[in-house]
Amino acid sequence: MENIIEVQSLAKLFANQTALEDVSFQIKKGETFGFLGPSGSGKTTTIKILTAQMAQTDGEAYVFGRPAHLLKDPAQRGRIGVLTDNSGLYERLSIYDNLKLYCGLYNVPHSRIDEVLEMVNLKDERKKVVSKLSKGMTQRVTLARAFLHKPDLLFLDEPTSALDPVNSRHIYRGLDQLKENGTTIFLTTHDMNEAELLCDRVAFLNKGKIQLIGPPKQLRKQYADNTISVELDNGQIEVLEKGDKGAQRMYQLMSENKVVSVNSNEPTLGDIFVEITGRKLS
Amino acid sequence: MTFSLKRTLAIFQKDYKDVSKNMYVSFTVIVPLLMAFLYGMQGDMGVDMVYTVINMSLSLVGAYIQCSLIAEEKEKNTLRGLMLSPASTLEILAGKSLLTFVTTILVIVFSAMIIDYQPENIVIVGVAIALSTLFYIGLGTILGLVTKSVMEASVVIMPFFFLFTFGSYATLLAERFPVLKAAEYMPNTQLIELAKEVQTGAGFGDIWSYLAVICVWIAAVFILSYVTFKKRMMD
Repeated sequence: MENIIEVQSLAKLFANQTALEDVSFQIKKGETFGFLGPSGSGKTTTIKILTAQMAQTDGEAYVFGRPAHLLKDPAQRGRIGVLTDNSGLYERLSIYDNLKLYCGLYNVPHSRIDEVLEMVNLKDERKKVVSKLSKGMTQRVTLARAFLHKPDLLFLDEPTSALDPVNSRHIYRGLDQLKENGTTIFLTTHDMNEAELLCDRVAFLNKGKIQLIGPPKQLRKQYADNTISVELDNGQIEVLEKGDKGAQRMYQLMSENKVVSVNSNEPTLGDIFVEITGRKLS
Repeated sequence: MTFSLKRTLAIFQKDYKDVSKNMYVSFTVIVPLLMAFLYGMQGDMGVDMVYTVINMSLSLVGAYIQCSLIAEEKEKNTLRGLMLSPASTLEILAGKSLLTFVTTILVIVFSAMIIDYQPENIVIVGVAIALSTLFYIGLGTILGLVTKSVMEASVVIMPFFFLFTFGSYATLLAERFPVLKAAEYMPNTQLIELAKEVQTGAGFGDIWSYLAVICVWIAAVFILSYVTFKKRMMD
């Protein structure tokens, strides 16, 4: 399958500070790729380079098989959607008028506005003025704007950071729809549950370097310890090692009817991140 | 380079709706009209007085409003959205300038009606004012792009407002201070000189040099605003 994004040894220096160092990855068509890391780890810088808003200091970055800086070409920009941390909405205008502008810019029929507002659960609020919206609603409007023209490649920088679980679920459903239509998604987040739920592969970025890359399930397996936890009827948790000895103990507990629940001790993505970087993801 | 009228008009329509709810811009538009009313009450006005009002309209509406609109787009981070869309630099700049152009021309027309200014040759004066408006829009665009907020833009524009509204009076002191002769080549002075010639019956053949100087100013500000915009596209 073709690579939509290809990055080789990417580096970015600001004055004397290294923002990115030897970053390499590929993203295939239709893939949802999570770029995970704490604030200041280089996630937004990577998005800026990939969307031609910033030039790299060294290395190569290709989007749609062409150097990323060629996305400055207006015709190419129609193929991408970008959601950044700043809303970039016109505060005096209504939700509808904000999206209407982008319909004009992307040559999209106005009927699409209701479709995207449905996706982000804002269809009944279309006439509301942006300045009167809550942070979460504003976030959903910017998402609707990024979805509006059904981009081939979508960059989402912390898309659900201001949303409650119900509205996050709306966004996830919307992203699923885009994915079904073949949209490639580049997602930065520090919400590990979101990454596990949405991403086919994730990369851990720390201090400008990729530390680990792979599918979430595979990474959890790779970093799992060889134990399971058994909750007993007296409230105690017993940790059993996998293998004959653990199996015998488990058999004994089961036959004595003492087992309340059994949990595998696979780490979360957050646990893995802390293990390899020694830093928390917030 | 691509140019889509649809995209340009989409930006224009958005600006129209946005500006109509912007009290700050509405107030700025009224100021030249108030000045025209006050000057008009004095009765018969010379060309210099008439063009003080017209140059004020140009610098206050053409440059100041354009500068504020661009600065606000930057401050609110909305310009980034336009830059990341398929709209080209030319479409964005044209879309952002169209509303200012129309507003400036309307303010000048109403001001001229209030002070009862009737040029001998409306076509020549119309062309000169339209060209001058382009210069002030270009100037406002550059200043809007280099400032970070509407507040900063309001301060930065002030010297230019005074220079292009009252700067032509500096030529009166040119004999004592030869350096002030340079003011003769400013676009506002050129517009006044052109208007004076037109009132004495001059035609296009007599005033082309004034238009040429104004066109040079337009070319300079538009090249500079295009380059500044391109630079602003990259962090």
